[in-house]
Amino acid sequence: MKQVRRCVDEAEPDLIIEVDSDHFVNFFYNNLPSFCIGMAEEAQGPQETWCPMPRYTVRGHVPLAKALFRHGVNAKFDFAAAHELRLDHSLVVPLHFLNPSMELPVVPIYTNGFASPLPLATRCFSLGRMLRGFIEAWEGKERIALIASGCFAMDVGGPLRGWTDTEWMETISGLLVRGQYQALARRATEERINAAGNNSGELLNWITVTGAVGKTKPLFLENDEGSGYAVWKFE
Amino acid sequence: MSVYQINKILYLTDNDAAFRKRMKEEPEAALKDFRLTEGEYDALTSGAVGKLYQMGVHTFLLNHLSRYELFGVNRDNYLSRIREGMEYDPRFEQGKMPMQYFIKG
Repeated sequence: MKQVRRCVDEAEPDLIIEVDSDHFVNFFYNNLPSFCIGMAEEAQGPQETWCPMPRYTVRGHVPLAKALFRHGVNAKFDFAAAHELRLDHSLVVPLHFLNPSMELPVVPIYTNGFASPLPLATRCFSLGRMLRGFIEAWEGKERIALIASGCFAMDVGGPLRGWTDTEWMETISGLLVRGQYQALARRATEERINAAGNNSGELLNWITVTGAVGKTKPLFLENDEGSGYAVWKFE
Repeated sequence: MSVYQINKILYLTDNDAAFRKRMKEEPEAALKDFRLTEGEYDALTSGAVGKLYQMGVHTFLLNHLSRYELFGVNRDNYLSRIREGMEYDPRFEQGKMPMQYFIKG
């Protein structure tokens, strides 16, 4: 994570777009979008009482969030929009390490990586491509860091808690390191994801980011018990 | 089947401090407003995690029973309870529950 932090600091971003999956904190089955843009001016989190870390207020960036929504509609991505947010641990943990002063505004993009049926991984890949187009077309002068939050393979609360699907994890890492992003998106079916545990849909956030990086390979990738850290650089 | 209602109870337990307090102190009253079948009510209030799992309750939400130690469920018995009714799987051997820390308030 220190290495990721160093790369982010060196890139000197002005703004973060974070692709994340909510864990039944901001969304529930009563209203659960496949893709949603966070439009709040600011939001607090993590909200979970069981999450042992500092509580933060995270600033949003409404103009960019609105522009992204519009760009998405024109590209046939019908996002949901949330103007009020309760941030969960998965959104705040990367920011705790990468944006600890919380000076950089953050626009969250939520993917449903958590409650079946999940969006298709290939659709998330296309979403990433669309995001790249948006970032390149963004008229502001801000430098934008695109962050994915999430693990590769993990189960929290299921009967296989504690077991890690190392085969799937290694498959994912291998495809990422070799830059075979579309192959990863094709192989990441919901069935395969769910077999690796109930948190494994967070992979969709990684796949979204790979849609944005083009052919660029990661500067590095480090595995960590069903999860990993990686950085891509693009201008 | 009203699995949605069970999911909702567990979701509120995690996200609504006042509801969580009621679930701790007067669970019968807290559950009155939810439409559960007798089987679901019994499974929930007896902490029969395995039955709830078989019914299709989301496992991340189910885990809140152990986080908040409701209906006799805790870190130590959660995994054995959720596996009740399942065939043995060698992957169970790697199973462990993480330590739990809470922020007060």
